[in-house]
Amino acid sequence: MRLFHIYILIAASFLGVALSSCSQDLLHLEPTSAIDESEVFNSIATAEAALIGTYDIFSTYSGEGMWGPLMSDVMGEDIMINSVENYGWFVTVYQLNVMANYSYNTNPWWVAYSVIYNANRIIAFAEDVPDATPDQIKNLQGQGKVLRAYSMLKLIEMYGQAYNRDADSEGIMIVTSPVDANSPDFDRSSVRATYEQIVVDLLSAIDLLEENTDKGFFDVRGAKAVLARAYLDMNEWEKARDMSKEAHEDMELMSLNEMLSGFYYRNSETIFTIAYTREDNNIYMSIPSFYWPEYGYSSIRANDEFVNLFESTDARKNFFQVYEPIDADRNIVLKFAHNGQVGNAERIAIRASEMILIEAECEAELGNDDEAQDALFRIQQRAMPSASKSTKTGAELIDEILLERRKELFGEGFRWNDIKRRNLPIKRLGDHWSKFDFTASDDDYYRLTFPIPQSEMDANPLINDENQNPGY
Amino acid sequence: MRALILAVILSFVLSAFSNAQKTIQGVVTELSTGLTLPGVNISIKGTTVGTVTNFDGEYTIEVPDDETILLYSFIGMTAVEEAVKGRSNINVAMAENSQKIEDVMVVAYGTTTKEAFTGAAEVVDNKIIEDRPVTSFEKSLQGTTAGLQVTASSGQPGASATVRIRGIGSFGGSAPLYIIDGVPMSGALSDINPNDIESLTVLKDAAASSLYGSRAANGVIMITTKKGKKGKTQISFNAQSGISTRVSDGYALMNSTQIYEQTWRGLYNQAIIHDGKTNAEAIDIAHDKVEGIVGFNPFSSDNPLDDSGQLISGTNVLTNTDWRDQVYKTGITQNYNLSISSGNQDTQLFFSFGYFSDSGTTIGANFERFTNKINVSQKVTSFLTAGMSTHLSHSKVNAPPSGSENANPVRSAEAINAASPVKNADGTYNWDNLAVFDFNPVALSHMDKYEYKTNRGLINAFLDFQILPSLSFRTTGSIDYSQNKGLNHYNPNHGNGAGVKGRSTQSVADNTAWNISNILRYNKSNERSNFEALLGYEAHGEKYEGLSAGVTGFSVPNRHELMWGSSPEMPSSSSTEWNMISYLSQVKYSLAGKYYLSASLRSDGNSRFGENYKYGVFYSFGGGWRISEEDWMPELSWLNNLKLRASYGTSGNSSIGNYASLGLYAGGANYGGYSGLAAAQLANTELHWEKITAFNIGLESRFFNRVDASFEYYQRDSDGLLFAKPLSASKGFGSITTNLGAMVNTGFEATLSVDLIKDKPYSNTLGFNISTNTNEILNIESDQIISGTKLIEPGADLYQFYMREWAGVNPENGMPMWFTNTASDDVTNNEELTSAYLDPLGTGRQVTSDYGDAERIRQGSALPDFFGGINNNFAYKGFDFSFYFYFSVGNKVYNYDYAGGMHDGVQPSSNLAADAANAWTPNNRYTDVPRYIVNNQDQGNQMSSRFLEDASYLRLKNISLSYTLPKTLSTRVKVNNAKVFVSAENIWTLSKYKGFDPEGAINGTTNNVIPGVKVISFGIKLDL
Repeated sequence: MRLFHIYILIAASFLGVALSSCSQDLLHLEPTSAIDESEVFNSIATAEAALIGTYDIFSTYSGEGMWGPLMSDVMGEDIMINSVENYGWFVTVYQLNVMANYSYNTNPWWVAYSVIYNANRIIAFAEDVPDATPDQIKNLQGQGKVLRAYSMLKLIEMYGQAYNRDADSEGIMIVTSPVDANSPDFDRSSVRATYEQIVVDLLSAIDLLEENTDKGFFDVRGAKAVLARAYLDMNEWEKARDMSKEAHEDMELMSLNEMLSGFYYRNSETIFTIAYTREDNNIYMSIPSFYWPEYGYSSIRANDEFVNLFESTDARKNFFQVYEPIDADRNIVLKFAHNGQVGNAERIAIRASEMILIEAECEAELGNDDEAQDALFRIQQRAMPSASKSTKTGAELIDEILLERRKELFGEGFRWNDIKRRNLPIKRLGDHWSKFDFTASDDDYYRLTFPIPQSEMDANPLINDENQNPGY
Repeated sequence: MRALILAVILSFVLSAFSNAQKTIQGVVTELSTGLTLPGVNISIKGTTVGTVTNFDGEYTIEVPDDETILLYSFIGMTAVEEAVKGRSNINVAMAENSQKIEDVMVVAYGTTTKEAFTGAAEVVDNKIIEDRPVTSFEKSLQGTTAGLQVTASSGQPGASATVRIRGIGSFGGSAPLYIIDGVPMSGALSDINPNDIESLTVLKDAAASSLYGSRAANGVIMITTKKGKKGKTQISFNAQSGISTRVSDGYALMNSTQIYEQTWRGLYNQAIIHDGKTNAEAIDIAHDKVEGIVGFNPFSSDNPLDDSGQLISGTNVLTNTDWRDQVYKTGITQNYNLSISSGNQDTQLFFSFGYFSDSGTTIGANFERFTNKINVSQKVTSFLTAGMSTHLSHSKVNAPPSGSENANPVRSAEAINAASPVKNADGTYNWDNLAVFDFNPVALSHMDKYEYKTNRGLINAFLDFQILPSLSFRTTGSIDYSQNKGLNHYNPNHGNGAGVKGRSTQSVADNTAWNISNILRYNKSNERSNFEALLGYEAHGEKYEGLSAGVTGFSVPNRHELMWGSSPEMPSSSSTEWNMISYLSQVKYSLAGKYYLSASLRSDGNSRFGENYKYGVFYSFGGGWRISEEDWMPELSWLNNLKLRASYGTSGNSSIGNYASLGLYAGGANYGGYSGLAAAQLANTELHWEKITAFNIGLESRFFNRVDASFEYYQRDSDGLLFAKPLSASKGFGSITTNLGAMVNTGFEATLSVDLIKDKPYSNTLGFNISTNTNEILNIESDQIISGTKLIEPGADLYQFYMREWAGVNPENGMPMWFTNTASDDVTNNEELTSAYLDPLGTGRQVTSDYGDAERIRQGSALPDFFGGINNNFAYKGFDFSFYFYFSVGNKVYNYDYAGGMHDGVQPSSNLAADAANAWTPNNRYTDVPRYIVNNQDQGNQMSSRFLEDASYLRLKNISLSYTLPKTLSTRVKVNNAKVFVSAENIWTLSKYKGFDPEGAINGTTNNVIPGVKVISFGIKLDL
C-alpha cells in the first residue's frame, strides 16, 4: 500500500507538470475568425483584403448602401414614406425631425468614420507591404483616399452648414492618419478646411489611380466624379464642370429601356456602383426593399405634385403609378427593382447622367448657356425622344436644370443636398402627410443639417453643447 | 454458614450463566415504510462487539447481561439505543435522519458544518426545488434566500431567469458562477432536471466564494445532485401535470368598434388641425379614409359611423377579433421522473430518468426535455474511491422571435387591431392587417419554424485517495458538452420569407467545456481544535464551434430541410475558445468549538486578458465566534446559539470577449464577391481582471429552540470593472474594453424562521427574509452616459431612469405637456425656452408642449428598494400545506409595450389600449391622454414618465398541498410511500403595474416578451 501511495504521488506530479508545461499554450490563444492588426499589412493579399473590407463598411446599409441615398430623398419634396404600413422606418427623417440620439443620425456618422479609420490605415501602411508592387501601392492608396474623401463629403453635407451658406462655421473632425484609443481627440474643424482636405485627397487619388473596368471600385473616373460633387457644393463652377466632363468623358448613356428595367446592375454609364451581393448583405435593408412596392418594406411613395411635373411624353413618368391593390391613394415608385430576389440589386451610386447635369448646371452658372442647353438636352432627349432643346437662359435655365436633376436622379440620393447647397426653399405640397414650407431664411432651415450625434458628444471632450449645430 | 457459602457460590454460578449466554434476536425496520433494513450495524455500547442485520433485516447477538445497551446505527438514520432489560427479542424501527442537510453543507471544494462556516452562504434543499412546474431550478429560488434576486423575464418555456447575488457587481455579465457537483458549469440551466438536485448552496461573501477566484465576483451557486444512499434500494416515481395560463390579463385593448371610432376621430382631427379643413370637409375625409387606415370595415354597413364618428345604433359588428385570445392559449405541463437509489458499504448508485414538457401559453412556443442522470461511486480499495456522475439531456424548444420583430406573436397580439380578421370568409387566413402587414401570427405559427435542440452530456469522474488518515487527494476530470442545433424556416408565401420564396437556416454549435482539478487535503484534529488545509490545481477551458447555412427558394409547403430550397445563402463557420489555469489553497482552524478561522488564496491565469495581466491573485479571510459557547456567557435557557462572523476578501470577473485584449481585423467583411478584412477591435494590452473586494459581517442566532434569526451586512467594492469606454468616432470604434469602472454594492439581509408549532402531529414553520441592496457607480470615466431610458453616472445606480417628466394634457388643445425642468443638468442653459408656459393644471410649474424643449430628469430606478420572501409550512399527520410569497418594492418599469398601445395616432393602423379611448376631445378636456390624430406629430408617445410605472409587487409564488397516504394503506398495495399533491405557481399578484407581469427584465424595460405564466399542477409520487 505504501508503494501504491508513491505511485499516486508520481502520477499526480506528472499530471501537474504536464499541465503546467502546456499552460503557456493554454493561455495564449488566437482567434480563428480574425487576425492580429499587426499582420494585415504584412502581405499584399491581406492588405487588399483590408481594402475590400473598407468597401464592405462603406456599402453597409446604414451608410451609403441604403440609408444615405434613401434619407436624402425622403427629406426632400419628391419622395415620401407611406403614412401607414411603414414599420416605423424613416418616419422621423421624413418629418424632418431627427434628434441627436436617433440611429438615423448616429449610424451614418459612425459608419463614415469607420470607413475613414480603415482607409487611413491603408493609406498610411500600404507602402510598408513587403510584397506589394509600386502599382499595387498606388492603387491601395488611391482607392483609400477616394473612400476617405467620399465619406468626408457625406459627413460635411450632413453635419455641417452648406459651404456657400457659411464656410467658416464648424465642420467635422478631420482625421487623416491612423489613431489608437489613446490618441488625442479631434474637434470640429471648419467647413472650409473639410472641403480643402477632400479636394487634396481627390486630386492625389486622381494621380494615383487608373481607369478600372470593374466599376464596383473607385477608379480615376470615380475620383473625378466625387471631386466634381465637392466642387459643386463649393460653387467652384469651372472646376466642377471640368471634373464632371472628365468623369463622363466618352461614356455612353444607358438606354431608356435599361433605365426602365429596374436600375439594379451596372451599365454603360456607371462610374461607381455599390457592388452589392445578396449573399452577404441584409436583403431587406436595401433600396429596392423600400422602393419596390412588393416583397420588402415597400414603404416609399412619390408625391403627386412631383409626379405631375413630368410631361406625359416623358418615359420616366412610367416610374409612377397609383395601383389600387397596393395603395389606392399615393403613387408607388417603380424605378428600383429587385433582380430576381428581394434586395438583389447593386446601387448605382455615380453615373454619367449626374455628371452631365453637373456640367449643365456649371455651364449655366458660368453663363455658357449653349453648352448648358446641350448637356441638358442629352438627358432630356433620352427620356423624351420628342423633346426639343431648351431655349431658356440664365436663372430660368438653371431652374430647368435643377428640375431635370429631380426628374432624372430622384431616389438616387440627391434632392436634400441640392436644396441645401443651393439654399432653396423646401415646400411640400399635395399628398404629403408631413407638410413643410420654409425658406433658407426661416428658423426651420436648421432641419436640413443633422445634429452632431449624442454618442460623439458624450465621448469626445472637444465637442460640447456649444459645438452642437444650431436648432438642436 | 454452609447456607451462606452455597448462596454465594450459587450467585456466582448464576451470574456466570448470565454473563456468558444471553442471546438477543430481532428485526430492524424503517420507521416510515415499515420495511426491513439490511446492513444495520448493531453494537454493544462501550465495546467493539457487534453484528449487522442480514438481507431480511434480522440479527442475532449475544450480550453479557441485562444491563447491556445495544446501539443500532445506519447511515442516514437516527441511531437508536435499546437497553436489553431481560428481553430476548428486540425489534427496532429506525427513523430517517432529517437533520443531515443542516449538519453538513456543501461549500467551495468541500463540505463544512454550519457552526464551523465562516462565510455567508445559504442552503436551499430539494423540498423547494422538487415537484415545481418550472423548467429550471433557478426560478424556484425566488424569495428563498436573502440577497438573491431572481427575475424571470419571459414566459417562453425553457427560458432562464436572471439571477443576481447581492446586487449588480459588473457592468457586463453579473450572473453568478454555477458549480455542479464541484465542476464549473457553462451551458443552459434548463438542461438540468430540478428533480435530480439534492441541494443548492448560494455562496454570497468572500469567505464562501473567493476560492473560485476570478469567476466568483458575482457569487456562486453550487448544485449538488442526488447520490445513491447506503441501505435499501429505493425506487421513486412521480408524475405531475399542470395547466398554465398567462399570469394576468393585462390592460384591456380596444375592440373593433372602439378602434374604428378612434381612427375616425384621428382622421377628423388630422383634417382640422393639420390640414385646416372645415368641419364638414373633415367629416367627409374621416368617413372616406377610416376603412383604409383601420384596414377593414368590421361592420355590416358600408357607412357605419354617424357624423360625430359614433357607431350608428343597430349596426352589426361582424369582426371583433381578440388577438390575445388568438395568440395566447392554455398550456399543459407534464413532468415524469423515475429514480433509483441504491447502495451498500462499497457502492452507491443513483439513477434517474426525467421527462418534462411545457406546451406553452403562446402559440408556437413550447419546450420538451428528456434527462438521464447516473451517479455512481465505488470504494475500490480501503483507500481509494472512484466515482462518476453523468448527466445527459435532450431538449427541444420552439421559440418564436421576441422584441420588435414582425414575426413576434406577442407583439402582433398587441398591434393588430380587432377589426382585422384571422380568417377570411372562405376559411383561408387573412394577411391584410395593416399593423404588421403580411404577418398573421396564427397562420405563421403553423407555417414558420423556430426550433432549437440541445443535446448535452455533462460527465464528471473522480478518484479519491485516502493516503493517510489525515491526508487525502482527489482528482476530478469533467467534460460538459452541449450541441445546439437551430432550425429556422420562413414559409415562401407570407411574412419574413415571402420576398425570397421561403428561407431555411440551420445552425449547429458545439460547446465543449473541460475541467481538471487535483486537490490535496490535510485534516488534523484533537479534542480542542481542528485544522484543515487544502492545496489544489485546476485547469478549465471552453470552446465554441459553430456552423450555419441557409437556402431560399422553396416551393413545397411545410418542408424545412435545406435540401428543399433552390438557392444557397452564404454559409459560415467560426470558433472561439478560452482557457484558465489556477492554483488554490485554503486553511481552516477551529478552537474549542468557539473560534473559527479560515483563509484562502487562489491564483488564476486566463487567456482572455492582456499579455502582462493574464494572472490574478484572489484571497479571503473569515472568522466565526460562537458567543453562546463562551464560559462567561450566562447559561440562558432561551438562547441556543449566538454566532458572529466576519469575512473580507477578493474575487474577480472575466466576463469579456475571448480575445478582448487584442487589436483585430476580422474576416467576413466581404464586398462585391471578394472576401475582405476589416478592423474589428482596438487593442488593449493592459486589459486585466475585474476585482471585487467584499466585506461581510453576520450574526446567527437561535432562541427558545424554535426561532432562528440571522442578519448580514455587506459591502462589495467592484474596481477595475470591465467597461466599454465610449470613444469618439474618430477612433474608428464606438468603444474599447477597459478596466475603468468602479461600483459599490451595500446591503442588509435578515432571515427569520420560526417553528410556530412543532409538537406532533402538528407542525407549522414560518419563514421570512428581506434584503436591501444599494448599487452605486463610483466611476465610469465620464460624467454620464445616456443609454436608452437610463442615465449612467457616478453616484447613481446602474439602472437609473432618465427621461422627460410628463405633465399631462393641456385641457385647452389636447396637446401633451412635459415639465420644462430647465434647472436639470440635461442642458446647461437654465433659461426657460419660448415654448414654455405655466402649467394649466395648476402645479405652478413651467411646462412645454414641445418635446425637444423639455429637459430630462432622473426618475428612480429599475432596482427594488427591498425584496424578499415569506413562507409558511404547515403539517398535520399526512397533510403538508405550504405557501410562499415573494415581494419586490420600489422598482420601476418603463412600459414600452403600453406605450405602443398609447401611440396617439403615430402608428395609425396599430391597435390601441382601451385607455386610449379617453383621449382629449373638446368635450373631454381633463384627461391624461392627448388628442388623437392620425400620423400624430405631437410626440406625446415619446419616452417620458408617462409610461414609467411603479412595478412593486407581492406575489403568491407557490402554494401547495400534499397528502401522504398512511402506511397502513400504502403498504397494503406494496408501496412504501404514496403522496398526492397539488401545487400552484404565481396564482395571485398584487401590483399597480399595468402590463401582464411586473416581474420582468432586470433593467426595467418591456419588449413584447411572452408574459409570465401561472401554473396549477397535480401530481402523485410513489416510493417503492
